[in-house]
Amino acid sequence: MGTQIGRRRFLQVAAGSAAALGLPRGTRAQSPVRIGFTLSATGPYAVGAGITQRPNYDLWVEQVNAKGGLAVAGQGRRPIQLVEHDDRSEIETAVRLYEKMVTDDKVDLLLPPWGTAMNFAVGPVASKHGYPLIAPTAASLKLAELGLPSFYGMLAQPDAMMGALAGFLKDVKRAQGLNKVAVIHVSDLFGLEQQGALMPLLKEAGFEIVEAKAYPLGVKDLTDVLKGIKAKGAEVLVGLTYPPDTILATTQAKAVDFNPRVFYTSVGTAFPFFRDRFKESAEGVLGMGAWNPKVPYPGAKAYFDAHVAKHKKEPDRWASAFAYAALQILEETVGKVGLDRPKIKAHLDATRFSTVVGPVKFTKGWNQATPGMVGQWQKGEFEVIWPPERATAKAVVPKPAWG
Amino acid sequence: MSAALLLDVAAGGLLLGGLYALIAVGLNLQYGLMRVLNVAHGEFLMIGGYVTYLLHVHAGVDPLVSLVASGPVVFAAGVGVHAVLYRRLLRQERTREELEANSLLISFGLLFILQNGALLLWSADLRGYQYLDQPLRVLGTVFPANRVVAFAMAAIVTAWLLLFLRRTLAGAAVRALMQDPVGARLMGINVARVHALCFGLGVGLAAVSGSLLSMLFELTPFVGLPYTITALVVIILGGLGSVGGSLVGGLILGVVESLGVHFTAPDLRMVISYAVLALVLILRPYGLFNPAAHRPGQSVQA
Repeated sequence: MGTQIGRRRFLQVAAGSAAALGLPRGTRAQSPVRIGFTLSATGPYAVGAGITQRPNYDLWVEQVNAKGGLAVAGQGRRPIQLVEHDDRSEIETAVRLYEKMVTDDKVDLLLPPWGTAMNFAVGPVASKHGYPLIAPTAASLKLAELGLPSFYGMLAQPDAMMGALAGFLKDVKRAQGLNKVAVIHVSDLFGLEQQGALMPLLKEAGFEIVEAKAYPLGVKDLTDVLKGIKAKGAEVLVGLTYPPDTILATTQAKAVDFNPRVFYTSVGTAFPFFRDRFKESAEGVLGMGAWNPKVPYPGAKAYFDAHVAKHKKEPDRWASAFAYAALQILEETVGKVGLDRPKIKAHLDATRFSTVVGPVKFTKGWNQATPGMVGQWQKGEFEVIWPPERATAKAVVPKPAWG
Repeated sequence: MSAALLLDVAAGGLLLGGLYALIAVGLNLQYGLMRVLNVAHGEFLMIGGYVTYLLHVHAGVDPLVSLVASGPVVFAAGVGVHAVLYRRLLRQERTREELEANSLLISFGLLFILQNGALLLWSADLRGYQYLDQPLRVLGTVFPANRVVAFAMAAIVTAWLLLFLRRTLAGAAVRALMQDPVGARLMGINVARVHALCFGLGVGLAAVSGSLLSMLFELTPFVGLPYTITALVVIILGGLGSVGGSLVGGLILGVVESLGVHFTAPDLRMVISYAVLALVLILRPYGLFNPAAHRPGQSVQA
């Protein structure tokens, strides 16, 4: 094993010095850049992967290849070739496939899978082999604690995200005297961490917590829980939810006539599907994270339009744009430093990027330039309503009656 | 905790239990009669849901009216599947264990084909629509209107099935085969035809349940399997081969789950339903209403 790595390293050095000497590379210059990833095409993660990541990967590859390929520093443009697999929403399958793509397919670059738990599992594989991974759908302080050297997270992490929610709620409490809060959360890594971050903040702000319940991934029914919460007179509902349960909680809250003054759900709230599904009833529903084509960052509107043109559907109003921004960052980096992975890492660590989600700057691998945000559906658009300096509209509280 | 809220929660469980019962009756017609454990049962439910969704969203057909399409279409598909996949298997004389193992393999294959077919056709996006999702006030408590309607429809379909089994010749043949396969055969009942009928009916009922569920919950190609598992719990609870047992079992499970979840957490829903199952199996190893309970170890011949 040791000698093998030695040989590969030798070949890399040899190839590198050949390049440095300016030897003609002939057809090699046009050989494709191979980019590997897995996304869940089947299983419970398929919904999120199919809305937030897959369309952006496809859009980006089409755009880059239309320009003649990915600009690689010193090599001109090379077409992108995707090496992709379905991880079937199975974490161990994803881990195996990432190992295979690195050791067997020998891809040039890796893109991340969808979801916190998936990234938690494949992050160490990519880092072990020195591949940078820029993840748009990972929110976990535990993942940050691993301190993976070449893992980069785009989203605001649970403490920041829940900090934003608590900040907004405190504001509402001051202005309108809301006090009784109920919290439900999905019992996987995502829900547990968000809940762990939120509860101390709520207690600190003096809210009365009338109910705090966990429910399993793939839950089929929440009416009993919601009826209980309604009976306890909750004025604020916080759901730390995944897409199917976001829809479930909203449908069933409406159906049992539970209309708290603040109704917040998490992943999936920002999906256009949510608006199309609930129509007038979506009005005033708050959600985790926020992005919309009105944000003042270069390329935001163009990205939105390109997504609609290619896929005939709008991008979701949160992590989709972050997925695209991650690809912008990768493209810019490879254009500046080429495919040498240590150089890519150094560039990612040092640079402040300008993307469709605004400035992005990684500190210890995590984007610190994007604050936690709260969004709200208002007249068909998911407006950013917190923090005030990022807001695209004023919050509507209390939420109107279910339409 | 007020008594009113408790009653409210129990009634909510009863409504969902009605749907569990309908799904389970379909599975029981297959497993109770043929010893064919169709783990793809939930996939037919999923297809029924998509039929209703597509008809409602693209053609404006009322979801309740769409039952007239989803039920018979999937019934016909079920008869076809039976003819292609199961008929030969059932005709050959085998031991019960062999039959169960092979039919299990076939239905696993069917599960993957149907799930991935649905994925190719409709993608993994969540699908759903609003239908009667206003609250309905009954006796001072609130129920989702669509859930009440779904329960009522499930009750109507179940009543129809019971009438069919009790009052028609074909129904009598089904009951005869359930009670005594050898005797029924000696009386000249065409076993293959009754099996095809039951398989079709089973998946047709699953499709009707799927249509009703699509009024309440979102669809993805993967919604089916959890319902198969719930149905399996119900038919074991109620007794293999007992239609009445499945009905009572479904209602009991719905109510117990709802109350259990109310007092603990939704996290424990599966634990609660398995606990009920374990308890029943300890006290009555053949289920609550197993018609074959007095003949333990009887070998089923197909």
